[in-house]
Amino acid sequence: MAFSLGFHIIFAAIGMTMPFFMSAAHWLYLKRGDEDCLRLTKMWMKGVAILFAVGAVSGTVLSFELGLLWPGFMRHAGAIFGMPFSWEGTAFFLEAVAIGLFLYGWGRMNRWVHWATGLVVGLSGFASGVFVVAANAWMNAPAGFDWVDGQAINVDPVAAMFNRAWLHQSLHMQLAALQAVGFAVGGIHAVLWLRGRAPGLNLKAFKIAMTFGAAAAIAQPFAGHFAGQRVAELQPAKLAAMEGHFVTGTRAPLYIGGIPDVESRTMRWGVPLPGLLSFVAHDDFDAEVIGLDRFPEEDWPPVVVVHVAFQIMVAIGTVMAALGVLFFLFWRKGRFPRWFLWLLGGAIPLGMIAIEAGWVVTEVGRQPWIIYGIMRTEDSVTPVPGMVYHFWLFLVLYVSLALTTVWLLRRQIMAAQDERGRSSGGGAS
Amino acid sequence: MIDVLIFFIGASLLLYVLLGGSDYGAGIIELLPAGRLREKQKHVINEAMGPVWEANHMWLILIVVILFMGFPVIFTTLMVALHLPMLALLLGIVVRGAAFTFRHYDAIQDAGSQRVYTWLFGLSSLWTAVWLGIIAASLNRGIIDPEAAGIWEAYVAPWWGPYPLAVGVFVACIFVFLAGIYLIAETTDEGLARRFRRVAAVANCLVIASGGLVFAASLGERESLPAAFLESPARWGTVVLATLLFVVLWASVARRRGWLTRVIAGGQVGLILAGWLLLYAPNAVTTAAGPLSFYEQAAPEATLRQLVLALLIGSAFIFPSLWFLLRVFKMGRPER
Repeated sequence: MAFSLGFHIIFAAIGMTMPFFMSAAHWLYLKRGDEDCLRLTKMWMKGVAILFAVGAVSGTVLSFELGLLWPGFMRHAGAIFGMPFSWEGTAFFLEAVAIGLFLYGWGRMNRWVHWATGLVVGLSGFASGVFVVAANAWMNAPAGFDWVDGQAINVDPVAAMFNRAWLHQSLHMQLAALQAVGFAVGGIHAVLWLRGRAPGLNLKAFKIAMTFGAAAAIAQPFAGHFAGQRVAELQPAKLAAMEGHFVTGTRAPLYIGGIPDVESRTMRWGVPLPGLLSFVAHDDFDAEVIGLDRFPEEDWPPVVVVHVAFQIMVAIGTVMAALGVLFFLFWRKGRFPRWFLWLLGGAIPLGMIAIEAGWVVTEVGRQPWIIYGIMRTEDSVTPVPGMVYHFWLFLVLYVSLALTTVWLLRRQIMAAQDERGRSSGGGAS
Repeated sequence: MIDVLIFFIGASLLLYVLLGGSDYGAGIIELLPAGRLREKQKHVINEAMGPVWEANHMWLILIVVILFMGFPVIFTTLMVALHLPMLALLLGIVVRGAAFTFRHYDAIQDAGSQRVYTWLFGLSSLWTAVWLGIIAASLNRGIIDPEAAGIWEAYVAPWWGPYPLAVGVFVACIFVFLAGIYLIAETTDEGLARRFRRVAAVANCLVIASGGLVFAASLGERESLPAAFLESPARWGTVVLATLLFVVLWASVARRRGWLTRVIAGGQVGLILAGWLLLYAPNAVTTAAGPLSFYEQAAPEATLRQLVLALLIGSAFIFPSLWFLLRVFKMGRPER
């Protein structure tokens, strides 16, 4: 399941942001009649088609896996946090219809209606993302029921959906998707431009994708700060593990780097910035920050994993925000220096790594709970034996799917670079 | 509330079998030898399925979502006892969707990779159809036992045996039949249309034969189908009516009434589905300890209310957009 999710999160992130790039290019074409933008729209459209299909089937697997792997969890949780899923299903359905209309609708309807169907693909995909993250947020901040003697009573699915974590998690995740995909797509086109391939096309692609990516990257630190404060309030153990904060205290230091040593309860090789953790968590340099010592050790998440993953995420986020600012500066000056474009080429995978790291923080940081403070992960897992095989089956399946997808997208991009490239793709072209 | 949900489950099931089913059937048809019509057939199937297959697939997801939000106990019981067939089903769904999309959108359409995609698409369509049937057959055999200790009793016995397999074959035949009927009016090529008519005719015979096989195989079950069907006229009536409609269907095919033919075939499959549901309603699953009824295993009222609300509002968006999809791609084709 963890693996399926780790895979799905990347595909979903690309699947819910690419349609926006596509719509932007399509809009530019319709407004200005720019042929490059038309080719760009069609190229991205094919990417969206492939990714949506893979995202849709891996999403199907996930909806089943909830029950296949976590029956103990679903038996209680299904009725409580199913609501975002029912909305997600609706949004997903709409997206599937819209994508059919957009992909095959060239020349078959009013062109602005056609453009709008492309936008609906993006909007409904984005809504799906918000709903799914809201469901995950409920696991971090359970709400909408009373837990009495191992049974949930007084179920209120609306309160469960709009739990205390849904807003910050959704905001953080949606920005992350825009930023990661914007940088990845922008970076790829930057490199292609540097290599002198179809310069007009690649420069426009680069600008469109990076506009989304850079804007999101600049907004992200603020969203991240908001998320950090909510976590400090809702899940102090997670925050403590993220920061390697063992002992409760005022004027708590924020560490840059470092490996937490669980045995001696200290942070090794980290650079402490006194009082900054207190400020980040509570807007006050002297505030008290709860440390891991307030929790029994069996309730600790794996501190090292969470801390390292968190550091990776923050480091990447900082670099990306800086690159985002540079992007807008250079754009205003009218040209992008080559070193900057190469740098962005190097940043292609960064956002994806940060998404996976952030996901590790939120999931591993919640352990040993599956529903925070209510149900432990070990009590929810399926009794079916031989889950190792399940794991390997899906590992092999997903790795081959991922490799095929990357290979196909590569072929797509290469074909589009060729000015007189064979424009294949059956009915779409 | 529960009745509304049962209605949604039934409707989604019907639409999934009809729409999704013909997509699976199209994949199976591509496995059959086609000679020089192969490329043309591939093109027609791409065009016919491309815009709609993802929407068609959503009906299954809708059923899963309704089950796990509205009837979590039924959902988890199924997912534990039928873990293995569900896995097989998922494997098929993933491979099929991926192979179909990859085939269509591969930028370089060389013969080698196209052959692999087609082969994977066809094989996984057949595989998924058979497992769908196996799962459907396993729901109410009364062998599912949440208390069972042994691996065999708990995880294999519920779906093992000739009866589920026969239902699997039956479902695959129905899907091929639906696809054949559906595709006849999707092409303007006379040779290809003739081929689809022939496929539909053979599948028609196979549906009747494998239907007989299902009845025969069920004699070894705790409750045999012939006995169960004869209990009420509504039950056997649906089966008889579905069979009789074959005559009307072929009259309509002969007159080249594309849409009428589709509606009749859809009605036949709907009748079979209804007959099957009538056998067990309102029970979703029958375990060794007794049936799990939708009425007794529902989630709390507040949850059901929200679920129904989501479904109704969702329908207000989905149905108009589906209609638009249909109008853009499926209307105004030559009748055939």
